[in-house]
Amino acid sequence: MALDEPIVYVVDDDAAARAAIQSLLHSVGLHAEAFGSPQEFLARPRPDAPACLVLDVRLPGVSGLDFQRDLAASDVTIPIIFITGHGDIPMSVEAMKAGAMEFLTKPFRGQVLLDAIHKAIERDRATRQEQAKVAQLRQRLATLTPREREVMQLVISGLLNKQIAAQLGTGERTVKIHRGQVMRKMKADSLPDLVRMAGKLGIPSRE
Amino acid sequence: MHRHSYPLNAALRSTLSGNILAFACVAAALLVTKLLNSVFPTPLFFAAIVVSTWFGGTASGLLAVALAALVLDYYFVPPFHSFALRAGALPYLIQFAVPALLTCWIVKKRKDAEASLRQARDGLEGKVRESTAELRQANRQLKAEIADRIRAEEIVQRTQADLAHVTRVTTLGELAASIAHEVNQPLMAVVINGDACLQWLAREQPDLQEAREAVGRIIAEGNRAGEIIRRIRALFKNSPLQKAAVGINELIRDILAITQREIIRNGVTITTELETALPPVFGDRVQLQQVILNLVVNAIEAMSGITGPRELQIRSQCDGDNGVLITVRDSGPGFTQPERIFGAFFTTKPDGLGMGLSISRTIIEAHGGKLWATNAGDGAVFQFRLPIYRGSA
Repeated sequence: MALDEPIVYVVDDDAAARAAIQSLLHSVGLHAEAFGSPQEFLARPRPDAPACLVLDVRLPGVSGLDFQRDLAASDVTIPIIFITGHGDIPMSVEAMKAGAMEFLTKPFRGQVLLDAIHKAIERDRATRQEQAKVAQLRQRLATLTPREREVMQLVISGLLNKQIAAQLGTGERTVKIHRGQVMRKMKADSLPDLVRMAGKLGIPSRE
Repeated sequence: MHRHSYPLNAALRSTLSGNILAFACVAAALLVTKLLNSVFPTPLFFAAIVVSTWFGGTASGLLAVALAALVLDYYFVPPFHSFALRAGALPYLIQFAVPALLTCWIVKKRKDAEASLRQARDGLEGKVRESTAELRQANRQLKAEIADRIRAEEIVQRTQADLAHVTRVTTLGELAASIAHEVNQPLMAVVINGDACLQWLAREQPDLQEAREAVGRIIAEGNRAGEIIRRIRALFKNSPLQKAAVGINELIRDILAITQREIIRNGVTITTELETALPPVFGDRVQLQQVILNLVVNAIEAMSGITGPRELQIRSQCDGDNGVLITVRDSGPGFTQPERIFGAFFTTKPDGLGMGLSISRTIIEAHGGKLWATNAGDGAVFQFRLPIYRGSA
């Protein structure tokens, strides 16, 4: 299996439903893994690949919505496509609010499910790329010295080198050198680029 | 005033007519005696006294005695045509007067007796007539009451049958969502398998094996949907009793399949302990299904409000010669009024009809069995026993 090949996880207590969905996904060349319960799904180690979860709302033991909450609480960001026996509006509203991708009412056409799966995988792929990017920025940030970090915070707040020097009690030239180091270590092309990076990293600007 | 004076006048008139009667009778006796020139004058005067007393009363009789004595003294006791009495004539007059008074008294008594007899007879007749009328009336009322009761019984029977149907439908109505899901499940599998089959065939190199398997699953799921519908129809049907050999374990499994979604949705854990060599019972499959459905649904609802584990235990066992014993046990709060739960219209649910347990007990008793309930400390236990099927009865 290629590292980037998407995986579709299916959690449904009905064996017939699992078999049907799995066959459909295989027929269009998607890799699918099916489970009878959320516990089985959690017990399986998941490779680092774009994925989505097709989840029956009503499950033995725990409801699909509770499971969705549990996943969110443990920082699992996998997109969820809910399938349900009857379109329960309050339930679907709750699921969508909690970040569900789609809420399909049985019986639905295979294409509807496939479209939802493709959309979900694309979103997961984007999320993963975004997460990877942030992780990279974090690594870069970690290489900055404390003084460089201080200078970076003041730079993104829009202060001029002179003002920064005055605030830090150093010379303007020293600030200029620190600033150059920050731009180089963070691999920022311009000031706006650096500001965007700081936003992603959640660094607040200083007034 | 006038009304008050009226009885007085009547009394006066009656005394007057009594006196006239006495005079007339004595006069008549004298006349006849004189005409016949009778040697014994007294008998006719006795007759006059009897007539006067009989028709005129005691006063009239006594007047007749006095008048007769005077007339006898005047006409027939010497000296004739004179009221003067000689010593020799006194015994004669006494001989007349004493029997005359006695006669007067006896006649009066007789008259009184006859009057009171007549009165008693009249009273009796009246009473008999009255009580006959009362009896006839009572009879009519009884007949009407019997007719009313028969009508009421018919109504009760009809209502009970209707209610049994209603409860069955309502209980299932509560399960409608669950049933919809139950039917939707295979339906979804059919559609998805169909789409998968098309996809396998649409490949550059059609995968016939996969396509064939998908079609096989479509057929299996179609059958599953049909089976679900058959079970539901059997429950909804309001058919007359059809008794046959029934396997209780199979009924329990059917009901658990129907209620499965409800059980899952409520987070209830089910434990079944079904005796494999359970003999069949003799009964109506649909009605017995209804009893088990009632007990299971009640148990699920009883546990809906508790925070602890929700456990439902269903057990079937052979109870020797006593028959087959079925136990449904929940971990709910139990019940506080064990004597009332089987009564009609007893319910703890806001929208309950309160007929479920009442009808269940009626059904089990109609099968020659017994249904009872006990609190088991950590929940309620419902049990029923049914006689074993012993060939066609």
